Amino acid sequence: MSDHKPPYLGFGLGLRPQHYQEILQGSPAVDWFEVLSENYMVPGGQPLHILDQICERYPVVMHGVSLSIASTAPLDMDYLGALKTLAERVNPKWISDHLCWTGVHGVNLHDLLPVPYTQEALDHVVDRVSQVQDVLGRRLTLENVSSYVTFGQSEMTEWEFVSEVANRADCWLLFDVNNVYVSAFNHGFSTDAFLQGVPRDRVVQFHVAGHSHEEGHIVDTHDHPVCDEVWDFYREAVTHFGPVSTMIERDDNIPPLTELVAELDHARDIARKVRERAQLAAAE
Amino acid sequence: MSSLKDLQDSFQRGILAGDDAILGEVNDSATEPRTVLFGVYRYAYVARLAEILGEDYEQVHGYLGDAGFAKLVKAYIDANPSDQRNARWYGRHLPAFARANAPFANHPEVGEIAALEKALTDAFDGPDAPTLSITTLAAIPAEDWPRLTFQPHPTVIRLSFDTNAAEIWSALKEEAHPPKPIRLPEPQALVVWRQEFLARFRPLPAEEAMMWNEAAKGVRFDVLCEMVATFAGEDDAELRAATYLKNWVDSGLLAGCQVETG
Repeated sequence: MSDHKPPYLGFGLGLRPQHYQEILQGSPAVDWFEVLSENYMVPGGQPLHILDQICERYPVVMHGVSLSIASTAPLDMDYLGALKTLAERVNPKWISDHLCWTGVHGVNLHDLLPVPYTQEALDHVVDRVSQVQDVLGRRLTLENVSSYVTFGQSEMTEWEFVSEVANRADCWLLFDVNNVYVSAFNHGFSTDAFLQGVPRDRVVQFHVAGHSHEEGHIVDTHDHPVCDEVWDFYREAVTHFGPVSTMIERDDNIPPLTELVAELDHARDIARKVRERAQLAAAE
Repeated sequence: MSSLKDLQDSFQRGILAGDDAILGEVNDSATEPRTVLFGVYRYAYVARLAEILGEDYEQVHGYLGDAGFAKLVKAYIDANPSDQRNARWYGRHLPAFARANAPFANHPEVGEIAALEKALTDAFDGPDAPTLSITTLAAIPAEDWPRLTFQPHPTVIRLSFDTNAAEIWSALKEEAHPPKPIRLPEPQALVVWRQEFLARFRPLPAEEAMMWNEAAKGVRFDVLCEMVATFAGEDDAELRAATYLKNWVDSGLLAGCQVETG
């Protein structure tokens, strides 16, 4: 298993079919792409053909939604095998999925379901991450999810749970800025506490995304532009963690590529200003 | 305190079966009661699967309209919790479901439009394989032709429709008003496949469909010619067979051919 922390890739976008031709015909100012693993776990045809071309031109990371790492159902070895086969084709800089479960008893609810922050769940997840890493032959990267409920039985905070998983299973973290913001709003915790609470050296990627405000809660819909509050928190995250590969994640209401590149430029601008301010402070 | 396993069982039942036992395990937030918060998961489950089916069955949606499609989708979701890691295959039973369950079963064109959409999707990302070229075929010595057998491209799917569903699908795809559904006097044979990364389909005339079905089973070219002769007369039977074959090669329906030995 590689011991090295994955490289800093700069500013990337999620690869979406709506943008295939524009990406391949032009040279959008995108440093790297994140591909949804399941979209390419298909026998053949155009999706894999396009993916091969993207992989020739850009660094790529793989992002899955079905690993179900926290499920009490047995690990799906067919899924893991297919994931590994795809990874051999893509040669991704890292492979990520979510710190959640998606179903039990052979059912997949196609949602990122929350975990109680208990010692039992922690031991279970750590064991499963180790098994997955053994199969994949590389460290896994896990993303914090947006959640809408908390459990009465939880014994620790989300950031304590996430940190323990990362440290004990020796995996990387994908720090989803929007998800922290959404969960903090829904559960009334401080985004800063989360930020300060996770191990800096484990974070290899940021997700930045939009969401939808309901009356007394926020739903992580990934179908809106990034809002000012999330940009503000992104600024804090960059200040705290330093340069981390950053990606704008849009899953629905996919806008023209230029619109996402403009959002990405905004992220670049924020990161540049944070860096310049840090350099200025260091020089003083 | 529930074990993690019991908690996940209860959570899943809360989503799939509307069982409220899980509400005893989750907290109210400062701004929302737990029923509303857990309701986000209940809503998202149905909404996500409906979105997946909407993307997979765009023309069925167009044909049934929003209300009719919502009814089909709800019935399908209620009857089919996903057993697939990949959402790509969640809707694979929809054509059979529409054919088997009222009120859609009373409108057989619905299941057939769905079957065509599913076949096109399956062909689109089906297995890669080389296609047989006309140059390769032309290089085969004349004396070997009688013993030629053919391999269909792995994306090829054969369908047989009792209704004018293919015509309805085409009109909907062109955003034109679809024709009224009718039951055809004879079943319509269709072939669906991928060519140049695009999923396509076309109806097969009865004789060509017969020859294709036999060729796909590995029947030799000389036997295929005899079958064509039997089907619609000996005059120019070989020419008809060769014309079908050339069309298959030109449109990428074949992956290869072999000269049978022994």
